[in-house]
Amino acid sequence: MKNKSRRLLKQCAAAGLVCLLSFSAVSLPVSADEPYDVYNYNYLGEAVPSQAGYLAERSVSGLDLGTTALNAPSDLFKDKDDFFYLVDSGNNRILKIDSDFTQIVQEYKSFKMEDGSETTLKNPKGVFVSPDTGLMYIADNENARALIVNPDGTVFREITKPASTVYDQQLTFLPQKILCDNAGNVYIVLNNTTKGSAMFNADGEFIGYYGANSVAPTAEVIANHFWNAIASEDEKKYRSRSTPTAFDNFDIDTVKGFIYTSTSSGSTDTDIIKKVNPEGYNLFDYMSGYTWGDLFSTWYSGTSYKTKIVDVDIGDDGSINCLDSTTGRVFQYDKEADLLFIMGATGDQVGAFSQGNVTALETKGENCENIYVLDAGKGTVTVFGQTVFGEIVHEATALYNGGYYEEALGPWLEVLKRDGNYRRAYLGISSAYYNMGRYKESMEYAKKADASARYNRAFERYRSQWLREHLTQLLIGIVLIVIGIRLLKYVIRKQKNKKKHSEPAASGSGT
Amino acid sequence: MMDLTQPQWVKHVVFHPFEGFEDLRWKKGGTLKYTAVIIVALFFALIAFDRWCGFQFRPLPDAMFSVVPYIMKSVVYFFAWVLGNWAICTLLDGEGTMKNIAIYSSYALIPYIVEVYIQVFLSHILVRAEGVFFSTVYYVGIIWTVLLLFNAIKAVHQYSFTKTVVAIILTIAAMLVILFLAVLFLSLFQKVYVFFYSLYTEILYRLRV
Repeated sequence: MKNKSRRLLKQCAAAGLVCLLSFSAVSLPVSADEPYDVYNYNYLGEAVPSQAGYLAERSVSGLDLGTTALNAPSDLFKDKDDFFYLVDSGNNRILKIDSDFTQIVQEYKSFKMEDGSETTLKNPKGVFVSPDTGLMYIADNENARALIVNPDGTVFREITKPASTVYDQQLTFLPQKILCDNAGNVYIVLNNTTKGSAMFNADGEFIGYYGANSVAPTAEVIANHFWNAIASEDEKKYRSRSTPTAFDNFDIDTVKGFIYTSTSSGSTDTDIIKKVNPEGYNLFDYMSGYTWGDLFSTWYSGTSYKTKIVDVDIGDDGSINCLDSTTGRVFQYDKEADLLFIMGATGDQVGAFSQGNVTALETKGENCENIYVLDAGKGTVTVFGQTVFGEIVHEATALYNGGYYEEALGPWLEVLKRDGNYRRAYLGISSAYYNMGRYKESMEYAKKADASARYNRAFERYRSQWLREHLTQLLIGIVLIVIGIRLLKYVIRKQKNKKKHSEPAASGSGT
Repeated sequence: MMDLTQPQWVKHVVFHPFEGFEDLRWKKGGTLKYTAVIIVALFFALIAFDRWCGFQFRPLPDAMFSVVPYIMKSVVYFFAWVLGNWAICTLLDGEGTMKNIAIYSSYALIPYIVEVYIQVFLSHILVRAEGVFFSTVYYVGIIWTVLLLFNAIKAVHQYSFTKTVVAIILTIAAMLVILFLAVLFLSLFQKVYVFFYSLYTEILYRLRV
């Protein structure tokens, strides 16, 4: 009888286990809508399943826009009125597209020079429109010039190879990307120098280089430096020198004026994304614990697939969006360089890109509601739209980074309901409770986020709060314990004395 | 003179680092029962330090808990110490028996064990800014235990100062050898086990087919 019931129990347990296993197997894919698994990194640096912050809505080709197919497009830019500028390099034209990304507003193929002649573009690579003056800056690559064009299509200025001695005259001048800052200075990324971007003042004069990458101080570099220092002049000719990698794309945060650069070279792990201040220093150097792109490179049949950031875009909310051409992924970070979302993949579906061929990304909206990714291989622009989850995260992030911790509590709790792996929600909730004086809860969430400094801070306040509330009880307790110990000792001594007096013979046999 | 009960011996030895063990040896005090208790206390102290400390001082413990490293750090290391010391000091004209080495060494560990428990307690009431108390307790405990251990070895073998230093260095070397051999044996036995197990499955398979 007993045996039978035990067997029944065993069978039930087995059935339950099978149910559980199959259930978890079924519910594993987080969302079925994307052609890839959505993930995020937890505090241990492990990739964990996550909710999608963006969904690919549609992919737009040249034909969808009412023109011929795009041919190797290389840059996408959005001006302050939300018009898009698409550099269609293969067709030597620039397309101005409306803010919904449905039709072409204007097609730029040729421009009127000051002397009245027409000039055409040849393999243009980059475009920028100044928010202040409305001038359009074009990196006209194979014409070896940069054009600054008035809104009406007449050329305002032409920048060609500078005659300055600072510019090595043996080098060509082939502009790749271009932008201008609030002061009207023009920055041009060239593909043949590691000194940084060429910088021209508002009058078009070459004034130097800006924002070069630094050489990571690896053991090899240091050793090389040492040997170079003691080598003779003859030997030096044959020795290699450590040069930094060159960045190949940049964007400007038009609100704050900082220039962000991105480096796609696979031979470096430093300076992938830089936030360059006017002096040329990378402000991210003063932070710690940030990473760009995937934390691990994948090995597949002898090839290493490492993150290769080809474009960076600063959203209107200050978010840093990076485009990885190896995996076709977009990494979105907030302005403190904390990872928000990862989207995209390589493949043929909408939301996936041809491998190694994505060239540019652009964002739109106050909270980055849309992300646009330009795929040169397919000749399309894929439009990502924010999900409800993405909206809540953005809302919470904006409040949190603005210092409105208590206001961010609601959104963060909502984020946790939808994705319990989202670490920043725990941090946000911890901060909110801390500001509200609910230190016990703040400690709890700090612990869940594995943020011990935050825990320490909350604990300090919790302790003083506790002491303030329980001081009288604590003092009474201490006094009582002291008196108790005294009393106990007294009683024991008395009993011992009694024993000694009553049986004096017993004390002699102790060992 | 010095007619102390066992608990009194513990107190005497711990609070008299320099002549305590000589007295203990002279009066043949100390018992292995206490050694067992002390090693168990050490075992729990190590676990407590890793798992029950306040989060502001120690990282969160792993979600997975394995008891093996703690057995290793308490029982195995202690036995390796006793065995190594006995082996070395027998060759170096030491007077201590294995039993006495175990007793004296374990008594010397008491300040360290107490210190760990105090640290675990303090980690729940201190904040990081007051971490100096946390580390002070640690250093006091460690120095005290090292002092006791040194004098324990010196007393149990009736050595001079220099000879004790040499003996302790050699003991540590001997411990390493012992642990190395232990690992070697373990892996060897594992291989033997796997061999016999595969033999067993093979036979089973043949019987069935």
